[in-house]
Amino acid sequence: MTDLAYLSIAEGSRLLRARKLSPVEWTRALLDRIAAIDANYNAFLAVTADQALAQAKAAEAEIAKGQWRGPMHGVPYAAKDIFDVEGMATTCHSKIRMKHRAAADAFVIRKLRETGAVLLGKVALHEFATGGPAFDLPWPPARNPWNRDLHPGGSSSGSAVALAAGFAPAALGTDTGGSVRNPATCCGVIGMKPTYGAVSLGGVFPLTFSLDHVGPMTRDVEDNAILFHAIAGHDPDDPTSAQREAGDCLAGLKRGVKGLRIGVIEHFYKEDAPADPDQVRAIERAVGVLRELGAEPRPIRLSPLALWTDCNRTIHQAEAYAIHERDVRERPEDFAQLTRNRLLPGAFVSAAKYIKAQQLRAALCREFSEAMRELDAAVTLSSLLLPCRIDDPAAIASTYDQQCRLVFNVTGTPAISVPTGFAHGNLPLAMQIAGRAFDEPMVYRIAHAYCAATGFADQRPLIKAAERAVA
Amino acid sequence: MSDALKNPEFLQWLCEQHSLERALKLFPDGMKAAAERGLRPLGDLPPGNSPLTHPAPVFDPSRFERDR
Repeated sequence: MTDLAYLSIAEGSRLLRARKLSPVEWTRALLDRIAAIDANYNAFLAVTADQALAQAKAAEAEIAKGQWRGPMHGVPYAAKDIFDVEGMATTCHSKIRMKHRAAADAFVIRKLRETGAVLLGKVALHEFATGGPAFDLPWPPARNPWNRDLHPGGSSSGSAVALAAGFAPAALGTDTGGSVRNPATCCGVIGMKPTYGAVSLGGVFPLTFSLDHVGPMTRDVEDNAILFHAIAGHDPDDPTSAQREAGDCLAGLKRGVKGLRIGVIEHFYKEDAPADPDQVRAIERAVGVLRELGAEPRPIRLSPLALWTDCNRTIHQAEAYAIHERDVRERPEDFAQLTRNRLLPGAFVSAAKYIKAQQLRAALCREFSEAMRELDAAVTLSSLLLPCRIDDPAAIASTYDQQCRLVFNVTGTPAISVPTGFAHGNLPLAMQIAGRAFDEPMVYRIAHAYCAATGFADQRPLIKAAERAVA
Repeated sequence: MSDALKNPEFLQWLCEQHSLERALKLFPDGMKAAAERGLRPLGDLPPGNSPLTHPAPVFDPSRFERDR
């Protein structure tokens, strides 16, 4: 049997259903691993060991009676500490929320509870899903399993770290300007930002109402599609929730890419902004792989990356400030410095500027839709640069907008980050595969073909037992 | 706008308008950087789009019908 630390959802689920593996055995193995190693990586803010074992025992009993609920039944997962779990604090990794207690589960937590999934605990993030890896908060920042001195990406940092370190086969993240895909990129795992409205935001602490997305994070593309199906669906209590079923992402997953027309948005990283040569070489090789697999890549052109950034950041600043205004006024010192620096500009965004940003968003969405008319999908870089040191706030701030992810928060269309190789031996590289609204099946299909052909998503960092706790 | 922000009295006035006196007192450099960023003008709409003919997302009263 595969090492339980890196067992996939798909394989684990098959073993569970066949009763060749117990959910209790799998859960206990991961809890033991977290207890032994997480002091090195700081992925978890709260481990719910007792509840997890109780859920695992319940799943074991149901499966033994032939009451298998589906592919997440008995599968352990971790949730970014921005999702409400009844009775637990939703801290958002912030001093300001330490005394909070959730009265009910977030919609997606409830859905996973109904599937019989096992919650291992709540994982670290950048404070309020913005800011950055901060050392002036009650909990230390999560550390990159590939190199603990480097930024693991964010804001769903703990989710990606938990996956890469072998603490969980599945994790939930949120994504407003790339917060699922950035840590997935930096930690060498798979991060999907689905279509806006495909997954409910109910019970998720908001960063911005119109750019936020809940996203599944896994080590494997098929696993990601399984998790997506488990959490997608209409939520009548969430006004942003779409009233349509998600397309079947598993039925056509392994159909390959022969004949698919794939746009390559290369001006983002070749003309609009400086990009690390390793990232550029990796995506050029990736486009070559897609061509060898039978796809038909072709360059396409959108508005310059800076305009997309302007649009996303203006909406982001205004909406995030509206949410945090009272605390920023009354207790600004209780935010981490990086968070404060991200929130404060919103105070000075005029109503006219916000409305113009919404007009710009509509224009950019039309533009993207037009560009995709003759295409099945598009690819571009995720991060333009390589991860910087985690303890260098100036470098982190300078790389904040050096990315192509926020484009797809503006369009609200699906985009996935997949590994494209490594720089300097062990620094994960990645690209995005983007699709039309609600065309997650196509995005997963291309991601699966690419990852199966290259094997980069199967690489694992060298994990050692905790030698020292890190701040 | 950056010239105006060089005047501490302007930044003070601006922060007072937003009830951010405490933040200014504690983090004067951060407030100045925030004001510069927030006041920075937005880029132009792509060619073929006009603020006069393309509204921001339209208010749709029918969305609230289920709440009645």
